Amino acid sequence: MPMTDDDLEARLRGALRPTEPEVGFAARLAARMARERAPRPWAALRFLWVPAALAATVVVAMMVAHQRELRVEREGLAARHQLIEALRVTSAKLDLAYRGVNEAAQRPATRDSGA
Amino acid sequence: MADEEGAECDSLSRARSGDAAAFSALVRRHQRRVYSLALRMVWDRHAAEDLAQEVFMQLHRRLSRVQSDAHLVFWLRQVTLRLAIDRLRREATHRVVPLEEGLDVAAEPSESDPLLQRRLRTLVAQLPAAARAVVVLRYQEDLDPLDIAATLDMPINTVKSHLKRSLEELRAQLAAHAHDG
Repeated sequence: MPMTDDDLEARLRGALRPTEPEVGFAARLAARMARERAPRPWAALRFLWVPAALAATVVVAMMVAHQRELRVEREGLAARHQLIEALRVTSAKLDLAYRGVNEAAQRPATRDSGA
Repeated sequence: MADEEGAECDSLSRARSGDAAAFSALVRRHQRRVYSLALRMVWDRHAAEDLAQEVFMQLHRRLSRVQSDAHLVFWLRQVTLRLAIDRLRREATHRVVPLEEGLDVAAEPSESDPLLQRRLRTLVAQLPAAARAVVVLRYQEDLDPLDIAATLDMPINTVKSHLKRSLEELRAQLAAHAHDG
């Protein structure tokens, strides 16, 4: 025989009768509330990461700036060496040219004096 | 009855002013309602206790907003179901309530047909969260559809359609079970 609406509803009311929690619910709740209210030492440290992160950022930025300075200095020294070498080579070439010109200028005079 | 209401009013106002004993009295007075709602929604004793504790902890933080005893009951029902539905949504991808799990919820000693009632509880636990909340408020808390709509902040027609479809579903499941058995 099919169950009527009233019958089903009555059975649902019976099945869903309120149930008490296990004994000591209020005490367990009070303990949990006390636990959550108690000051936690790590809670004070929770916001320390902000200054720590700032300090770390400053240190990293300083290191990067220092490295960059060293690199620029190294590149400057290398450029200076290259310039000195270029000047040295140029000077040597100019000396050579000067000597060649000088020798060429002196050669006819020698020939004239020999004749 | 009037004395009880007076005591409740007194507990509420004393709890609002920071009286821990008065707050404990409020907890003891409403723990059955809150725990039962949580249990019928989350279908696990430990989760229900955890949820009920969370509700009372929220109550403790927001006591100043509770205006009267009627408001307190409304608030407890609303927050319990809201937290339960949120929890069910979070766990929806991980958890499916098996039929046998219903056995974990102890049967009341005075049940006329314990097997049928256990089966009904299991079937209610398998309804979608919103429909389950409507059914629990209707048959456990004995609220009419208008109050259910206010508690769940849901249109009245949605409440009625949840009730109608849930009853049809429960009846069909019971019939199928009886046929199999």
